[in-house]
Amino acid sequence: MSLYRTLRNLQKEGLKTWWRQLQYIGDAKSGTFVGADQFGNRYYENRNGEEEVPGRHRWVDYAQHEYNATQVPPEWHSWIHHIRTDPPAADPIIQNLTPPWQAPYVENLTGTRGAYKSYNTAKPKISAWEPKVASRS
Amino acid sequence: MSLALKSAGGQRVIRQLCFLPVEAEQQQQTRPSQAAPPEPYTTIAKTGSNQLSLETPRNNAEYVLSTLDKVANWARQGSMWPMTFGLACCAVEMMHMAAARYDQDRLGVVFRASPRQSDIMIVAGTLTNKMAPALRKVYDQMPEPRWVISMGSCANGGGYYHYSYSVVRGCDRIVPVDIYVPGCPPTAEALLYGMLQLQRKMRRSRKGVLWYRK
Repeated sequence: MSLYRTLRNLQKEGLKTWWRQLQYIGDAKSGTFVGADQFGNRYYENRNGEEEVPGRHRWVDYAQHEYNATQVPPEWHSWIHHIRTDPPAADPIIQNLTPPWQAPYVENLTGTRGAYKSYNTAKPKISAWEPKVASRS
Repeated sequence: MSLALKSAGGQRVIRQLCFLPVEAEQQQQTRPSQAAPPEPYTTIAKTGSNQLSLETPRNNAEYVLSTLDKVANWARQGSMWPMTFGLACCAVEMMHMAAARYDQDRLGVVFRASPRQSDIMIVAGTLTNKMAPALRKVYDQMPEPRWVISMGSCANGGGYYHYSYSVVRGCDRIVPVDIYVPGCPPTAEALLYGMLQLQRKMRRSRKGVLWYRK
């Protein structure tokens, strides 16, 4: 946040990365690349307490321009939220205990045509009044 | 390899959800894991939609209008002023969203206790029959454009009080709702995510282009 830190990270990361970070994260960060997920999001870490405030030491560089937090798949979610120490590729539990029948991860599709729409299969309890005119004789 | 397989499966699921043709399934499965990142699901879901048509300008006038729309959207999403309609325990979580940890101020979200100067209404909590006319009146007093976030099970569909004699079964019976935030009560984080989804919805608005095409 300080000017010194911003300029230092500019020098470390290069102008292109620095500008992208300022556009998407709003902060100039510098760290080591930890891994990328199947969607192309890139994950970084800097555990040096002098350079990054603890709690802000893991971050993601989203692949999409219209980003949101659900684009992080669950394996990486557990890493980025400090539920697990190791990234998924190095974590023995995630490597061995991910079941083969696990459904593929899909981000939140609210507002797109893939959004979930609820439906009801039960017969409606009330029905609209359909008036029938009796013929006058 | 397993990750690549998963993403291919996800693409198939999305295409089926959006009634799009499932193509090249075999090729995707045999693709090595080091390949380029797959097409985002949102892009697949957008294929052939009205929204994509609106966002793709056909001529210079539409280009100008869609740019103006984007500027208006940017201005709107940068200063969302929610009308606080705290009705029950959800209101406490709504307050947490304003407090230091989640800090809605960094998104330009400021609670405004006057309907005439706010553009979003967060219906937080059980809407009772007695409160419903007041809610509608407050909604009618808000200036256009206005959005409504329904927060929590009770506002979404009655929730725990669905079978009560005195509760409206969902605030969408009274006002048109843009975003439903599930939960009982939803966490402040969930509500903030709902605000971000509303920003996403605002960004999709292309009123100028719509007007031009008519």
